Amino acid sequence: MNLQTADYLIIGVYFLFVIGVGFIIKRKIKSSNDFLASSRSIPLWITSLAFISANLGAQEVIGMVASGAKYGIMTVHFYWVGAIFAMVFLGVFMMPFYYGSRARSVPEYLRLRFDEKTRGLNAISFAVMTVFSSGISLYALAKMLEIILKWDFDISIWVAAGIVMIYTFVGGLTSAVYNEVLQFFLIVLGFSPLVIIALQDSGGWENVKAQLEPNMTHAWKYMGDTQSNPMGLHFMSLIFGLGFVMSFGYWCTDFLVVQRAMIARNMRDAQMTPIIAAIPKMFMPLIVVLPGIIAIALMQPALASKGYSIPVDAKGQLDYTMTLPSLIAHYYPSGLLGIGITALMASFMSGMAGNVTAFNAVFTYDIYQPYFVKNKSDNHYLVVGKIITVVGILLSIMTAYIAQGFNNINDFLQLVFGFVNGPLFATFLLGMFWKRTTGHGAFWGLLAGTFGAAMTHGLTIAEGKGGWISPLYEIGSGMGQAFIVAGVSWIVNFFTTIFVSLMTKPKPEEELKGLVYSLTEKQKYTGGKWYQRVVPLAILLILLTILLNIIFF
Amino acid sequence: MLKKLSRLSFVIGLFFTIVAIILLINDLLNDTSTKLNLYTGGVFLVFGVFMMMVKERAE
Repeated sequence: MNLQTADYLIIGVYFLFVIGVGFIIKRKIKSSNDFLASSRSIPLWITSLAFISANLGAQEVIGMVASGAKYGIMTVHFYWVGAIFAMVFLGVFMMPFYYGSRARSVPEYLRLRFDEKTRGLNAISFAVMTVFSSGISLYALAKMLEIILKWDFDISIWVAAGIVMIYTFVGGLTSAVYNEVLQFFLIVLGFSPLVIIALQDSGGWENVKAQLEPNMTHAWKYMGDTQSNPMGLHFMSLIFGLGFVMSFGYWCTDFLVVQRAMIARNMRDAQMTPIIAAIPKMFMPLIVVLPGIIAIALMQPALASKGYSIPVDAKGQLDYTMTLPSLIAHYYPSGLLGIGITALMASFMSGMAGNVTAFNAVFTYDIYQPYFVKNKSDNHYLVVGKIITVVGILLSIMTAYIAQGFNNINDFLQLVFGFVNGPLFATFLLGMFWKRTTGHGAFWGLLAGTFGAAMTHGLTIAEGKGGWISPLYEIGSGMGQAFIVAGVSWIVNFFTTIFVSLMTKPKPEEELKGLVYSLTEKQKYTGGKWYQRVVPLAILLILLTILLNIIFF
Repeated sequence: MLKKLSRLSFVIGLFFTIVAIILLINDLLNDTSTKLNLYTGGVFLVFGVFMMMVKERAE
């Protein structure tokens, strides 16, 4: 892949704009609240697009195209099962607690609802995870640029990290959020021509379906038996593991995405943020799953004349992660190629900036302020927030180099993240909807859930992974194993929290007002058109999602 | 101008307008069989101008 002047010009314009946004926002940063929490002043359309864009990182874009090629249309389950319902639930039921409690972060909500130790546990694990995620995103970007453009690995790391650091350092969260919206449009509009050309070249959707095995183009039909679908999954594992535990655990409790809704201007906008975000999310498979399916169809004998193939790795196996870059190289001429490369960079930088801004907020509000230096001036925490931004970037760079040295560090970290995130939703579900839940219950439930996840992984094996205690049970695919590990961790946390809560003393009801469903005054919205109200729009989205599942059954 | 630049919709519109102009000029200077840059540049230009103009009231 060779870039021409027009391509470099587009990349240069993009860098200029993302840095420029940081400097424009800089004038508005007066306090730590402006820098770390945008002072709850961001309009709904921006919070909604930032909400979806914070998740539109490299793993999403490149990973979902790769999954589309490997597993076919079943990949849409990550959207139509594993995202929309949880986003709607967050908007309708959970945002009133996050926003109404005036908490500045998810760990701070845990302190208000439970106690300091539960907040500390969540804050530390979240801070470690975000900084490692950011580093891995950076590593993946540099590696991708090294492979497809032959760019120097070190220069790519430092330039990309430097640009993210400039705009997050000068403009804080608002700058990151504004850039996420720019990156959202760039990713969607940058990859849309690719989908259109590739689909046209392959003879349209009907011809793509004709080229592939039926289990690659039906989302549910072959899920009654683990042997007959490419993921090796039964539909019950998918619904519970992905559709409930992993999906709700991520979308409803991960501060990285929830933070985007918490900076909305009022409660209604905060609730509407994930609901409005669910609309583009519903159609995102057109951009990130369909190209993968088309790519695998283009490799079938009837379409061999098109001259496209997914590159192979050193072992001679298809390297699915290269599906998107190889499609860009195959179809995009100079000019549009610059757009494609810039959109790829945008997805990596968006993921990194999202992690860094969530990291600096949690570190400053939930680790530094409560445990190290209390009761200082606001300016002190603003300076600390800025220093932590630089530290976060430097730690990301360090992680990127560690990842370069250890091939399997990404797998290992993803595994650990799964152990920590898997059980989390049980804590929030019980905390928000059962007033009897105690701080001790939440804390020990989280620890037990994480332990349960590690044990399940140690006792099961899938695609050669896991079974480090004893490979007692074999699972068809790594993805299936992840769903089962998450499911077990959730159940262990759920019952441990209930058991310990019943053994310990709950908080007085007075202290739980605004934090627990039964003790909180319900939001009432009157007036306005139906599509401007939370519940009618949420119901419509759920019906549309069910309809999409039926259409592609 | 600085006031306009503080509006995100204007910034996004400006970015896509500049990128559209690069694509259109690239199409004019290079005689390629494919018209992809022309079509994409056209769409980006419409989107860019729309974002710069329409969002003024919405914000």
